[in-house]
Amino acid sequence: MSLRLSTGPHLLHKESTQTLMLDVIIALVPTTAAGIYLFGSKAAWVLAVAVVSAVLCEYLFQKLSKRPVRVMDLSAVVTGLILGLNLPAEAPLWLPAIGSAIAVILVKELFGGIGHNFMNPALLARGILLASWPARMSVYFMPVRVLGSTSVVPAGADAVSAATALIRPQGYEVYDLLMGNIPGTIGEVCKIAILIGFLYMLFVGTIKWHIPVIFVGTVALFTWLIGGDLLKAVLSGGLLFGAVFMATDYVINPMLRIGQVIFAVGCGVLVSVIRMSGSYPEGVTYAILLMNILTPLIDRLTSRRVYGTVKQHA
Amino acid sequence: MPKKTTFRGVFINGILNENPIFRLVLGVCPTLAATTSATNGLGMGLAATFVLLGSNIVISLLRNLIPDKVRIPAFIVVISTFVTIVQMLIQAFVPALYEALGLFIPLIVVNCIILARAEAFAAKNTVFHSAADGLGMGLGFTAALILIGSIRELIGSGSIFGNAVFGATFEPMLLAVMAPGGFILFGLILGIINSIVNRIGSRKGAQA
Amino acid sequence: MRLSFKGGIHPLKEMHEGKNRSKHQPIRDLVPGKVSIPTDMHIGAPSAPCVAKGDRVKLGQVIATPVGGIGIPVHASVSGEVTGIVVRQLLNKKPSTCIEIANDNQDEWEQLSPLGDVETAPADRIVQQVKDAGICGMGGACFPTHIKMSPPPDKKVDTVILNGAECETFLTADHQLMLEQPGLIVDGLRAIMRGMGVEKGVIAIEDNKMDAVKAMTDAASGREGVSVAVMKTKYPQGGEKQLIEAVTKRQVPSGGLPSDIGVAVFNVGTAAAIAEAVALGKPLISRITTVTGAVNTPSNIRLRIGTSFQDAIDFAGGTSEEPGKVFAGGSMTGIAIPNTGVSVTKANNGIVVLGKKDAVTPEPTSCIRCGRCVDACPVMLNPQRLKVLCDMGDLSGAKKEHVMDCIVCASCSYVCPAKLELSPTFKEAKEKITARRI
Repeated sequence: MSLRLSTGPHLLHKESTQTLMLDVIIALVPTTAAGIYLFGSKAAWVLAVAVVSAVLCEYLFQKLSKRPVRVMDLSAVVTGLILGLNLPAEAPLWLPAIGSAIAVILVKELFGGIGHNFMNPALLARGILLASWPARMSVYFMPVRVLGSTSVVPAGADAVSAATALIRPQGYEVYDLLMGNIPGTIGEVCKIAILIGFLYMLFVGTIKWHIPVIFVGTVALFTWLIGGDLLKAVLSGGLLFGAVFMATDYVINPMLRIGQVIFAVGCGVLVSVIRMSGSYPEGVTYAILLMNILTPLIDRLTSRRVYGTVKQHA
Repeated sequence: MPKKTTFRGVFINGILNENPIFRLVLGVCPTLAATTSATNGLGMGLAATFVLLGSNIVISLLRNLIPDKVRIPAFIVVISTFVTIVQMLIQAFVPALYEALGLFIPLIVVNCIILARAEAFAAKNTVFHSAADGLGMGLGFTAALILIGSIRELIGSGSIFGNAVFGATFEPMLLAVMAPGGFILFGLILGIINSIVNRIGSRKGAQA
Repeated sequence: MRLSFKGGIHPLKEMHEGKNRSKHQPIRDLVPGKVSIPTDMHIGAPSAPCVAKGDRVKLGQVIATPVGGIGIPVHASVSGEVTGIVVRQLLNKKPSTCIEIANDNQDEWEQLSPLGDVETAPADRIVQQVKDAGICGMGGACFPTHIKMSPPPDKKVDTVILNGAECETFLTADHQLMLEQPGLIVDGLRAIMRGMGVEKGVIAIEDNKMDAVKAMTDAASGREGVSVAVMKTKYPQGGEKQLIEAVTKRQVPSGGLPSDIGVAVFNVGTAAAIAEAVALGKPLISRITTVTGAVNTPSNIRLRIGTSFQDAIDFAGGTSEEPGKVFAGGSMTGIAIPNTGVSVTKANNGIVVLGKKDAVTPEPTSCIRCGRCVDACPVMLNPQRLKVLCDMGDLSGAKKEHVMDCIVCASCSYVCPAKLELSPTFKEAKEKITARRI
């Protein structure tokens, strides 16, 4: 008989990069479904193009640069889906196509592939799209259908564009903010769907609660301090979507729990500051990107006490 | 690097082997600033070539007269003379280019390429070869600027040398004509050129 | 509130840690036809054979004498004729000298010299009795027990802990021993306590073995200074450092030993062997091993030292499918064996057979910085950072980040979704750092 010789452990956990990505995709299903229901078939097309473009770009790049093709780990699907959900439904289809290409090739593959990107690919791609085609990226129409019973009127044939609900959050009811009967990007509007996805990921252990909760909590705290409407501020804009799906990207947040807390607080502070005093209505994209850049520094400055040692003073 | 001793050799060296932008990576600051369009790139390139040619020739002529200790200030004086000349010429004859390049024309004085070639080549070689080097480096610089400028103008404005290429439905990528876009594009082109050079180098090495 | 430690994982939770099939299987005895007893089973210099080919030996006779300061004697595990003294490549790095004996099935004991009942035996002779019985740590490390029972005079031990955690996957031998011979284990603990002059003894058991907790508690009632502690089931609760942290809330200093904080830890099997050595004078000639996995009758078997793995597997009903991998120990820290002719040693607590499909380990991919390894590490290290340092060859950097404190429990490797070979990298780094004295 020939026996395999290898080092332990001899039986590994069933979880793999692929299963983790699959769980994220499953958590995104409610948001995707809500987005397509609210915004109609053009949203479906945007998402489809984003995902297909991401997978195709990763496959072609890995094939052409003679690296192992790792499309099966589903990370490109997640990147494409998150990017697509960050776009308005009215985006012309070349926008998600180019955006996915930028995300996968520029931000991820050119730096070494999965695990080596220094910023969240979908988010940086969104940032680049925002700077390149500001008019296209900031146009949001009302959804074409409404969710639940509400007095909001969906967009008709003569739809008028409006900025995201963030400009005048007090103009919308909490119910509509929750259900998504407001203008915004495909994925960010339906908060209920995001929360369902969040609870799913907590339940199966994909992410831990710290970053999203502390991130949103910090924003809530700041809003409360300046006397704003806490609930409406938290439910407006891309805060929940960013906190649950983008700030929790493993690759670009710190390794230790204390580092993750610092990261989440930093994101919350930046979002609050940009929303209150910055010239942009929405600060989530830039807040998370800025904290991404700080992550290596946070990792270097934080440590935990090793068993059997005395706490070192840095 | 084997020394090229013919006019042709030195000249080609400045355009290809030791292209100041893509191989020596000198003078990157004016590169990023002046490549928002192909025309600007061409203008900046030609202006810098004029200065490079002139300063290389003069410095080479004076190379045995300038004391070693004051050589850098001496070079700067020569270079700034030529920059002043070219600035006045551009202001007089191509005012649109003068507006477009703005501060970057006088900044040619501190363009690394010019000082570097003065120090590394013109101060040690004959006038003949220094002229070849100046011309080669300058044209290499210009070619690189035109390349980057064309791409940025194409993506960021939909035109080349001011002529619209795509139809009215083309939505330009604004980032390309901004500084971050310039950096990213420069990096990508540099990467492509490096991989081509590596492939040529390894093929030559395999044959050897 | 159950006792526990920080970090840790629950390996193979979906298959009951692999213990279900051999759990509660009563201990059976295997008497082999022949044995091949290695002389280097313990930590320390290999012992020197003192018998020759053709000699007749009795059960329990000394066949190899200790060499150097921390050596222990090796005894014949069967009676019969010495058929040869051979050099074989077993699981150690260097080849082992093995003494092969053909069993005459008489089980004729050598002259025994017991000290008597553990409570009345002369306390100052217990440690020597333990050495003469050739007892070493039977939980896996095989460190000579008499040395552990004799810490330097400036290190006063105030608590002895018996390790009944058996946190490794697939192993159920200690559990069964606690159910069948609880009194013997408590006797062993009392012998250790009296031999070391310690007043407090704790038997620590995980809470997935509540029947063993009951059995040990009943056996410990009325015994002076002995108590039973129940701990939360988590891997690696049975690791020495984690056990001490859970039971005493003290931490072994980095680079130090348990005696530095006044604690000594022994496996329950070792305690049982000590009881037999003191009360009956019997040397260590057998141990209980769990033979499980792809075998027809998973069992807990009392094996004579030197029995071949093949004999043990056959006694467990033979393999149920073509074996792809066989390892000694549990699936987390077990060592894969090249062939089933290797011998059972004093520290061999498990023999697990895996079929062809289970034997395949996935290829490592890229680290995704998910942090699961950081959460799992029971020593609070950062395995992700250590792997980067070790891969770069920065051993002094790895040492600064406490790679020497790694207990090689393989928790990090187990949870890694990218299937990176974390634990083997750290084991190798530790060996290199020690060898090059970085």
